Amino acid sequence: MTAADLYTQAVLDHYRSPRNFGELPGYTHAAEGHNPLCGDRLNIQLRASGGQVSAMRFRGEACAIATATASMLSELAVGRDLHALADLAERFGQLVAGDLEQDPSLMELNAMRELAYHPVRRKCALLAFATLSAALGGASAASTEGIVE
Amino acid sequence: MSAVPNIAVAQPFDPMQYRPDFPVLARRIHGKPLIYFDSANTAQKPTVVVDAVARYYREYTANVARAVHTLGEEATAAYEAVRDKLARFINAPRDEVVFTSGTTNAINLVAYSFALPRLRPGDEILITAMEHHANIVPWQLVCERTGAKIKVAPINDKGELIVERFMELLTPSVKLAGVVHVSNVLGTLNPVRDLAKACRARGIPLLVDGSQAAPHIPIDVQAIGCDFYAFTGHKLFGPTGTGALWARREWLQAMPPFFGGGEMIKTVSFEKTTFADPPHKFEAGTPNIAGFIGLGAAVDYIESIGRERIAGYERELLGYATERLKSVQGLRLFGEAREKAAVLSFLIDGIHAHDLATLLDHEGVAVRSGHHCAHPLMQFFGVPATARASLAFYNTRDEVDEFVTAIGRVRKLLQ
Repeated sequence: MTAADLYTQAVLDHYRSPRNFGELPGYTHAAEGHNPLCGDRLNIQLRASGGQVSAMRFRGEACAIATATASMLSELAVGRDLHALADLAERFGQLVAGDLEQDPSLMELNAMRELAYHPVRRKCALLAFATLSAALGGASAASTEGIVE
Repeated sequence: MSAVPNIAVAQPFDPMQYRPDFPVLARRIHGKPLIYFDSANTAQKPTVVVDAVARYYREYTANVARAVHTLGEEATAAYEAVRDKLARFINAPRDEVVFTSGTTNAINLVAYSFALPRLRPGDEILITAMEHHANIVPWQLVCERTGAKIKVAPINDKGELIVERFMELLTPSVKLAGVVHVSNVLGTLNPVRDLAKACRARGIPLLVDGSQAAPHIPIDVQAIGCDFYAFTGHKLFGPTGTGALWARREWLQAMPPFFGGGEMIKTVSFEKTTFADPPHKFEAGTPNIAGFIGLGAAVDYIESIGRERIAGYERELLGYATERLKSVQGLRLFGEAREKAAVLSFLIDGIHAHDLATLLDHEGVAVRSGHHCAHPLMQFFGVPATARASLAFYNTRDEVDEFVTAIGRVRKLLQ
């Protein structure tokens, strides 16, 4: 297990050039996610109707893991509905806990499988999902403190 | 006083002499030698400490002050001897040293037994902007219950306490002041003697949080002149779950007990219970006997090396580490007080503290990243988190060099 196993080219790429980074004009849902332990902040804005996400953008100051996850998620979320996203979130949770090896539906997020060996960093990756979930649920804020592993 | 000359003073301090006492330092992390730069989080323990704890459990396990049999006498003697050691360590009478589970416990004791009964609505507690949560939250809890308020003395950009402002804030409404001796984030060494003098002049009791000071510099509570001094054993190369509160006898006698139970009593009946004299009045229940025996061994070990020598070496190492870190492009240092301990908080442009720490771990380097239990301080510097390297006398210049090289590798990867 080396640093390169977690900070892969894919992760570093998404960190340095995050996809869908910025504000989303005409957003319908939004939430601010915060990891009080390390200070990561993610602000997610969505356009969604009928429970289906048509666009997602995010901003914030966060570590490479949190940022890369948010970036990867922003590409995956488009075109998916609440149900599919909840499913994805659950599978991602299992992946980072080491309970799942790889899952094709998680696409680039499979890179976070290495977090199975870095339990303290898991919350960094879970922040994006928690924030997205909060936004879709109508809440305006999410915190990693509410996440039960 | 011994007539034997202190030869040790003449020899330059060599950490390699002491590193073998800490077998963990020989570990390899991710295939690289461990470079433990996180002693401010918890210190490594020398073999004598581990042995002392094990010996208690192997050879004379018994409860203290509760049995007249041989094992009980042995355990009690070993345990109470530590009180004498701690008292000498800080230059205090033994009955003014209350054993606690650490600094946090000690400060809470003062909050509940000293502050809570005394504070009235409108009263104030003065602390500083560089405090650890342990010297903030207990006061907040007490203020909530009494209607008192917290006042915060500001710091400057270098992480130094603005002493004039602290003095100005010592108004008649202040009923207690709390100050950290050495900041765990900035390394700043506060002028506690001057602050204590000002507090005494105004009749304001002062509590000093000595968690990061006790491991690094000689402590003399008489010379400092404060009213309460708290410190913790696990940062002092001793076991976790140990620590002490020193407090002036007049306060300890006036303070009601904090925890109630066995040991802190003289007599108990369902009608009336009388309490033991301090310090035992504040030591309810069976204590962390093995832990304190280990702490005693830690204090002996440190004293055998010499705290002045340790302080001198760390000052040199800090100077070297600071100079090397300042040469790293894009590195920002937090806390550059004129007087500071070997604690270096830093960030590198564009790199999050957690990523720094995780990648440094892969280079064998252990630093802490996060808010270091000092949210308000992070807010002051406008950063969500920092990475922190904290050095002890078992660290070397070679380790500092390797640390800087590792930072270079991390930068290349992330920038």
